[in-house]
Amino acid sequence: MKSALRKLGPAASTVLSLGALLVLWEILARLAQIDGFPPATEALVQVPLILGERESLASIGASLWRMFLGGALALCFAVPVGLAMGRNKRIAQALNPVLTAAYPIPKAALMPIIMLWFGVGDLSKVLVIFLGVSLPLIYHSFHGAHAVDEKLLWSAMAMGMKPVARLFKVVLPSALPDVLLGCRVGLAMALIVMISSEMIARQSGAGDLLFNALDMALYGDVYAMIVILAAIGFVLDWVFERVRRRLVHWAESRQDAMVPGGGV
Amino acid sequence: MSASNIFAGERLRGTAASVLPLALILLAWEAVCRAGLVAPTLLPAPSVVLLRWIALLPDPDFLHHVAQTMIRLLSGFAIALAAGVSIGLLASRGGGGLLEPVIRVLAPIPKIALYPAFVLIFGFDHASKIALVVADAVFPILLATFHGARSVEPKLLWSAWAAGASRRATIFTVVLPSALPSILTGCKIALLISCVTVFLAEMISSTDGLGHLLIRSARSFRIVDMFVPLVTISTIGLLLNAALVAVRNRLLVGHGNHR
Repeated sequence: MKSALRKLGPAASTVLSLGALLVLWEILARLAQIDGFPPATEALVQVPLILGERESLASIGASLWRMFLGGALALCFAVPVGLAMGRNKRIAQALNPVLTAAYPIPKAALMPIIMLWFGVGDLSKVLVIFLGVSLPLIYHSFHGAHAVDEKLLWSAMAMGMKPVARLFKVVLPSALPDVLLGCRVGLAMALIVMISSEMIARQSGAGDLLFNALDMALYGDVYAMIVILAAIGFVLDWVFERVRRRLVHWAESRQDAMVPGGGV
Repeated sequence: MSASNIFAGERLRGTAASVLPLALILLAWEAVCRAGLVAPTLLPAPSVVLLRWIALLPDPDFLHHVAQTMIRLLSGFAIALAAGVSIGLLASRGGGGLLEPVIRVLAPIPKIALYPAFVLIFGFDHASKIALVVADAVFPILLATFHGARSVEPKLLWSAWAAGASRRATIFTVVLPSALPSILTGCKIALLISCVTVFLAEMISSTDGLGHLLIRSARSFRIVDMFVPLVTISTIGLLLNAALVAVRNRLLVGHGNHR
């Protein structure tokens, strides 16, 4: 059985285990007979209905757009900061304590305060996502840049390469595996912050849809939304992992790449 | 590596150098507030927040909320630790073919989305929050255990087997000890995740706990009281992290230099 699964390859075994999980859900729900825990089939039939509705589809789309914006902003800000910290001891010493202090703060929990400052609009939501993504991205970029082989930099210097050119042609490429690992963690963070901030603020978006269904006791819809969000998380991660592998196939595969959510 | 410097790649020169930038930021924040550049209803001075925090610390009502949060946080983390290490060991010793794809499906799911389901199944009390903490914290521990146990030096196992140790015995005498550094790294990530998760769960739906305190203050626009729970949970996170580092330094005495 084990070796048979191994032979099938990762794609097939993933699909199989997904099926097994759904069957397990179905059986557990039918055995438990709780109103709040409908069987998988009852939830899954709601998925196309929710996705077919213009309003909810637009709402989920708007959520993803904000997530993309927050993530893109974080990428532009956090990667240069992290790389600079990794190459310059002074910058690292100045920023390190600040980042350490910011590390354990739950970013989505800042939502009520940020909403007081910037209103209930998109700006607050994008800002919270930006904050959530920035920290893991800075952290991994820092480690990547810190571990750059000094000899590469010396050779570049000896050939007369300017500091800015060194940053883009030597530091960034050799830190890329770490930066991309940070991106993967950041992607997971973006989704988590997006959903939780929408659950806290309850204005619009996917997290709000989920809790509206809960308030109206539409249990099938609650679980259908969970399935949709889980699918978004899974697909985003899968797509990113493929891109990452293509970009850094030259680097040795890193096992800790599997650790998700490192650095909330 | 000092306990609080999560980002430090190497030891920093003294505590003064590491506290200075943070102190400067707090001073600037204080100055901006004192100068009246921002409305005190939008951003309270750090000194005001600190004084309120100190005033609240002996308050039994406040401590009750802290205790509720701590119960959920620690029991969730403990369950995640037990489950993560045992499933991780199981997956690394043969069960991997079956468990790996399941983990691959479940790991990237944003667990916070499961919270409404936990509320429906476990109710609004402790259980649903603990369940969310477990769901979030178990994966870093599980994956760290799995990779740690996988990369055990095979020669160690062979010699143990050759010396007559049973396969079951080597799990506890060889595999677990050599996976320990990796497991503790997973624990570090999981502990911070637990802090954040329990707080968010309490903000989303709860009648007590630190997260609920923040929401309650937000409803009445009491900005200072909004900062107090945030400061508290961050302090708890840093203290638990420091405690874990202390445990780790003690446990890993024989392990050489593990950062």
